[in-house]
Amino acid sequence: MTAAAAPTGGERRRYWFSLAALAIVLPAAIVVNSWDSLSEWRRLNSRTPLTVERGATQRYAGAQWQLTSLTRLPEGPTGAIPIVAEFEAVVDDPDLLKSPCAVVLVDDRGRRWQPAFLPSRVVRQARREAADKPRCGAFPNAEKGKTIMMAATFTVPGSATGLTLSVTVAGARPEYLVFR
Amino acid sequence: MNNVLKAIVAVAASAAVLYGLQRTTPSYGEITSPIAVTGKLGKRIAANAFVIGVVKVHLARTVTTKSVGRTQTFTSSGVWALVEGAAEARSESLSLMSAQWLGRDGVRYALSQRFSTVPGFLPSQRLEPGLPQPVLMAFEIPEDQVSEGTLLIARTAWTPLEEEVRIELTGVGPDDIRPALVLARSEGAVPWTLKSE
Repeated sequence: MTAAAAPTGGERRRYWFSLAALAIVLPAAIVVNSWDSLSEWRRLNSRTPLTVERGATQRYAGAQWQLTSLTRLPEGPTGAIPIVAEFEAVVDDPDLLKSPCAVVLVDDRGRRWQPAFLPSRVVRQARREAADKPRCGAFPNAEKGKTIMMAATFTVPGSATGLTLSVTVAGARPEYLVFR
Repeated sequence: MNNVLKAIVAVAASAAVLYGLQRTTPSYGEITSPIAVTGKLGKRIAANAFVIGVVKVHLARTVTTKSVGRTQTFTSSGVWALVEGAAEARSESLSLMSAQWLGRDGVRYALSQRFSTVPGFLPSQRLEPGLPQPVLMAFEIPEDQVSEGTLLIARTAWTPLEEEVRIELTGVGPDDIRPALVLARSEGAVPWTLKSE
C-alpha cells in the first residue's frame, strides 16, 4: 500500500481526538437513551423510609397513619408464628389515597414476609375483629376525616426478630412508612 | 496482480468470518433462557430466591384420593409420578408456579392439575422465608420417559433469566411403578399421606 500518503500531523491529531471522544460519547448516548427508564425506576423505587415509633402517627399519602397493634399469636405445630398487624389511617386528602397499597413485614436480617391472602383459621379464632378488617388495598371510597381500619396477617418463623411493618402507597413513592 | 489476489482473499476471509458469526449467534430464547441451578434427588438445592429438595418420587398406574366422605380414582394413559419434597423461600415470600418433568427425549411435561386441591400442591403453596414446607407435585408421563428424567422448578415458566432448579432423578425407573397409590389428607406436619395399595 505504497500509494497511500503518510498521515499529516493534523489528521493524526483528529484521529486520536475522535477515539478519545468515543469514551465520553458512548456512555453519554447510553444514559440519554435510558434516561426515561432510569427516572421511572427511581420514582417507583421505595427508598425514602418514614420511620414511625410505636404508638406515634405519621402523615403519609394524604392520611395520618398509626400502627395500633402488632400481635404475636402462639406458635403452631410446624414452628410457624402467626402475626397480626392492625393499623389505621385518618384521611386528609382522599385523592392521594386512590392508588394501591402494599404491606410487608421485615425482620432485622432483611427477610420480607408478604401478608396472607386470607387470615388463617387460627387468626380468625384468636383475633376475630382483626380478621374482619379489610386489607390495605386501594381506597376508592376514602372520605376526608374518616378513619380506615386495616389489618394484615403474616406467618413467620420463631427466628424472626426485630420485626417492622412497612406500608407503601404506590402514588406516594419513593416514600414509604416503616412502623417499628 | 498481487494486490487483486490479496483483495479477493480478504473479501473471502471476511465473508467466512461473517458467516461464522451469523451461524453462531444465540437466539433470543437462548440469551434469555433460565439460569440453571443443578442438584440431585434427595439433596437440598439452594437457589438465590428459594431452597428446594425432592425426597421421593412415587410412580403408579392409578392414584386414589381420599378426603372427607369422598373417594376418587384417577387413571392415566401413561404413568403417574407423584413427587414429594420440601421448599422454603430465602429472603422474600414467593410461590413456585412452574414445575416440569423433562424426559430423556427432551420433552417437557407440565404439572398435572388434577390434584391441585390437595394441600401442599406446589403452585398453591406460599413459601415463606425461614419456614420449610412440604410440597407435592404430580405429573402424567409416558412410561418410556420415567427413567433418566429431570425435574425443572422455577418461580414462573416464562420470565426471562429466571433461576431454574434442575434436579436429576437418578435411580427412578420403570421397576418402581406400583399398581395403585392412595393419596389422603392428613392433619400432621405433612398435610397428605401417600400409601401403596
